[in-house]
Amino acid sequence: MSEVILEVKDLKKWFPVRRRISQLFKGEKSWVRAVDGVSFSIKKGEIFGLIGESGCGKTTTGKLLMKLLESTAGQIIFQGEDVTNLTPEGISRYKREIQMIFQDPYASMNPRFKIRDVLLEPLIIHKLGAGLEERISMATEVLEEVKMTPPIEFLDRYPHMLSGGQRQRVATARTLILSPTFIVADEPVSMIDLSTRAEVLQMMKEVQQDLNLTYLYITHDLSTARYFTDRIAVMYLGKIVEMGSADQIVDNTLHPYSRALIAAVCEPVTGKVNLIKEVPIKGEIPSAANIPAGCRFHPRCIFAKPECWELEEPGLEEAEPGHLVACRRYQEIV
Amino acid sequence: MGRILEVNNLKLYYYTARGPVRGVDDISFHLNKGETLGVVGESGCGKTTLGTALLNMPSPPGRIVGGEIVLAGSDILQLNEKQIRQQIRWEKISMVFQGAMNCLTPVYTIEKQMLETLQEHREMDEAAAGERIRKYIAYVGLSDDVLRRYPHELSGGMKQRIVIATALFLEPEVVICDEPTTALDVVVQAQIINLLKELKEQLGLSFIFITHDLATEAEVADRILVMYAGKIAEIGTNQQIYGQEGQIHPYTRGLLGATPRLREKVAKLDFIPGTPPNLLHPPAGCRFHLRCPVVMERCSVEEPPLKEIEAEHKIACWRCFDE
Amino acid sequence: MNKEQIPVKRDYKPGKIATAQPSRWRDLGVSLRGFWKEFSQIKYGVAGLILLAIFFLMIVFEPWLIPFPEASERWRDISYWDSNPRNAAPGWINWFARQKGATHQYLRDPILEVEEQARFKVIKGTFSYDYRFDLPPTGLSLRGLGKGDLRLTVRLERPDGQEIELYKDSLRRRNEDELKLPLGGLQAASTAFEFGQSYDSAENVKRVNRHMIRPYNIFFARAQEGILLKPEPLPGEYKIHLDVVAIGQDAYIKDPYLIVSGRVFGLLGTDNSRRDIWSGVVAGIKWAMFIGLLTAFISVVIGVTYGVTSAYFGGWIDSMMMRIFEVFVSIPILPVLIVLSAVFKPTIWLLIFMMTVFFWTGPVRTVRSIGMQIREETYIEAAYALNASHARIIFKHMVPQLIPYAFATMALAVPRAIIFEASISLLGFGDASIVTWGQILHDAMNGGAILQGLWWWVIPPGLTIALMSMTFAFIGFSMDKILNPKLKTR
Repeated sequence: MSEVILEVKDLKKWFPVRRRISQLFKGEKSWVRAVDGVSFSIKKGEIFGLIGESGCGKTTTGKLLMKLLESTAGQIIFQGEDVTNLTPEGISRYKREIQMIFQDPYASMNPRFKIRDVLLEPLIIHKLGAGLEERISMATEVLEEVKMTPPIEFLDRYPHMLSGGQRQRVATARTLILSPTFIVADEPVSMIDLSTRAEVLQMMKEVQQDLNLTYLYITHDLSTARYFTDRIAVMYLGKIVEMGSADQIVDNTLHPYSRALIAAVCEPVTGKVNLIKEVPIKGEIPSAANIPAGCRFHPRCIFAKPECWELEEPGLEEAEPGHLVACRRYQEIV
Repeated sequence: MGRILEVNNLKLYYYTARGPVRGVDDISFHLNKGETLGVVGESGCGKTTLGTALLNMPSPPGRIVGGEIVLAGSDILQLNEKQIRQQIRWEKISMVFQGAMNCLTPVYTIEKQMLETLQEHREMDEAAAGERIRKYIAYVGLSDDVLRRYPHELSGGMKQRIVIATALFLEPEVVICDEPTTALDVVVQAQIINLLKELKEQLGLSFIFITHDLATEAEVADRILVMYAGKIAEIGTNQQIYGQEGQIHPYTRGLLGATPRLREKVAKLDFIPGTPPNLLHPPAGCRFHLRCPVVMERCSVEEPPLKEIEAEHKIACWRCFDE
Repeated sequence: MNKEQIPVKRDYKPGKIATAQPSRWRDLGVSLRGFWKEFSQIKYGVAGLILLAIFFLMIVFEPWLIPFPEASERWRDISYWDSNPRNAAPGWINWFARQKGATHQYLRDPILEVEEQARFKVIKGTFSYDYRFDLPPTGLSLRGLGKGDLRLTVRLERPDGQEIELYKDSLRRRNEDELKLPLGGLQAASTAFEFGQSYDSAENVKRVNRHMIRPYNIFFARAQEGILLKPEPLPGEYKIHLDVVAIGQDAYIKDPYLIVSGRVFGLLGTDNSRRDIWSGVVAGIKWAMFIGLLTAFISVVIGVTYGVTSAYFGGWIDSMMMRIFEVFVSIPILPVLIVLSAVFKPTIWLLIFMMTVFFWTGPVRTVRSIGMQIREETYIEAAYALNASHARIIFKHMVPQLIPYAFATMALAVPRAIIFEASISLLGFGDASIVTWGQILHDAMNGGAILQGLWWWVIPPGLTIALMSMTFAFIGFSMDKILNPKLKTR
């Protein structure tokens, strides 16, 4: 459990934005700093949650790990090997080890492909399995793994003939067919009906334990993250502001932003109808093209003091064992 | 508390090539003045269809085939389309459609779009209309300067507020909100929920709040209507549905069990196996019996009526009736 | 019942709901049925389909439809056509015209008498011709097989008892040979003049140019005043006597027959090279189809691949490819093709190649925009996450989605190719080894069809070009309406 499988060091992804003419003459460049210096490490067999609002850079981080985007700076170390710059063969090897489950299972499958084609595609790409028969038997195996039984019945269906939960099972089966060690799951259940969401999460958890996988679970939903993950990192505007075990984050929240997030979550408990909910945050999330100086959260922080914007941006520091926070004043505001 | 809206035996069928799909099948309920009625259920259970039926604007090939919608004393289904447009729709009952915030015209300023909507319904000079728009913009917690902006310059939360303001400024008595918080981030979600509560308080509005999320519903709705396969499974007060005592419908229980809770650590979440039935051929007996964990023989044969088991609390489940 | 944990039913299987196992072909059938349902709503689309079916049937049944089955191969072989009349109008105009023209006839099986002498044979034959028209035939021609030394005399016996000698000559054939003896020409003209002279008035005779008269008008006219200037037809039973003297033991004539060159011929008449226009037009269908479909197919394949590639790679590759595309789009295609054809004198293959060089631009713009949408789809990203190659993403994920649209574009490109080929052929730069409608029109133009009023030479090929183009345009527009996402209102 203690072996680190993936380590991300100061990862950055800056997207260039179109320049104004005046900037063009001065040679200035503007950037959207979608991911702006993210570091974390994930242990083997762990489920690591990456949480934040839309536009905080969590999906971009996932895509950087998947090599769907090239990072601007920083390092990704996978199983002790720096995978930031790889040869085509290296990338092919890496992409067998690391797989992704997308938010919308329906969109992530070609509507013209049958389940059979969807499952066989990774094998064809990576030239695995000798002949069609062996490949089909591999496909039925993974369908059984994700509890799509009997598998034969599903092979010749199209994605649109399945329910949302079944589609996400197939999407999971597709990632499993290459026997990877690491799976990036980007909001895997947010498009799925509430009644089957738990079913899919449970299936993913069972698969993870069966095959000793490691997950990076990207979500905006704290409730499922609490239930599903071992550790959580909270992202705000391209940076991790708090990181710790799921219990530490929810029960002993330190960063003011995480506090606001947690306060905002609704729960199916009676007696709240006539109360106005206090959400300790102000303003709107600024654009990633224009990140505030100092602590990037200070304009929205209800505890902010001049030191927060005058001094340099705070880094992650350990508040308790395994619980990191990027706030100068976390001790004062408890 | 008087009843502002009463729905009796409402039926809306979609006439598809393969036969009628019973989108809303014989539904009766009422809405009290100044309360929020939550409508919950899985996708495809008829929540949105119910919303459009209340405005008497079913999306084709849907048709209202029976029942009555009594709004402030008169049955709106007896009125013709012109009367409904002039007297009812947006005037007395309005709707915030799902994803409406993404449907603002990108080429006009907010003010122009709102003016156009307002002037379509009311003959008002520009100054009076502007004043009213400003009033409602203030109600939804925005400042005047958003009026000069274009939709792309606004955040999702601001756009949702604009849409809510647009639904309000003809001063309806009932507002139907279809998944108003679904596409928003948690913090913004909480803010919109707070806004709706404030509006209910200040303007005495009645809301019908449609969502699939029982957690959100718990924080907004005074009473909750649980729909399953085009029918009402259960209707009860917030306390009766979310409280720890008393009986609830197995479907509601399943949904609640599947809803993750942030503040308590659950080892394992429940789920409801299977998928909702095809409404083209709904199963015989109780529509939920194929997925029900406490199914008994009677359930597959006879359809349970919606019966009041205590004050304000109606359930359609044989298991819940004391025999 | 209180709120305790409900045991989860473990025997639940998600696959139990639908048990039918659809096959790939059935799925295709279902989607085709859906397509047909939409298509059948569009009236002009159905009309186009019916026309297409008719054209296809005509190609299949071509040998049975046309009287000259080798029309396609021997279009420019004069000998293949020489028994036909020249510039004859379509046969059916007799139903409408005030003056009925003589039909084209073959007079066979004469009454033969053979007189064997020691050193020669005398063969006497009589053909009978029932003349009931207002316009006489344009000529007679004797056909048959002959060998050796032959002396031939042909006489025309008219219903009024007059006899005219049409032909008198001797032939020598070393081997058996087909005899083709036109009984007209200068000799007939002077015979006719002499015949007419004896009946007409002196002024009339003076006013007539003896070289300009049409002999058969006089042969089949009433023997009265004005026969030279304004001959009036004399209907009745004509007899043509053939007298052959075959000199030598091995000299003979076999199966002699007469061709009466009509004023009207066949379904669509003939051109000035005696070719049957109907046969030419029907034989042209398959060539038009071939040129149109092949050109359209190749250019759409190239265009779709080009557009998708451009959309997929994006960035500077896209910019560069679009600039190249714009260059091709801005070339005026027809003038360039005409010049190229004039220089290279292309075969049909080269012509198709030259057309595809310019036609591939057709679908590019739309395909590129659709491709750019597809590129943003999650499943493309998913394929990329699996390390799929560019070629796999383009050809496995993107191109199949464009096939319906490609079909629609193809249908629309067909008429363009047909019209371009016709234009090039009209100017005389086409492939001379086949018969296309454009070439028929080209010959008509050279032959002065319009000046002479030979409308049956011009209108049928022109009309079929228009019809064929319409067929594909109708089908293409309807398919476009259904399949083009830009036009479709979802």
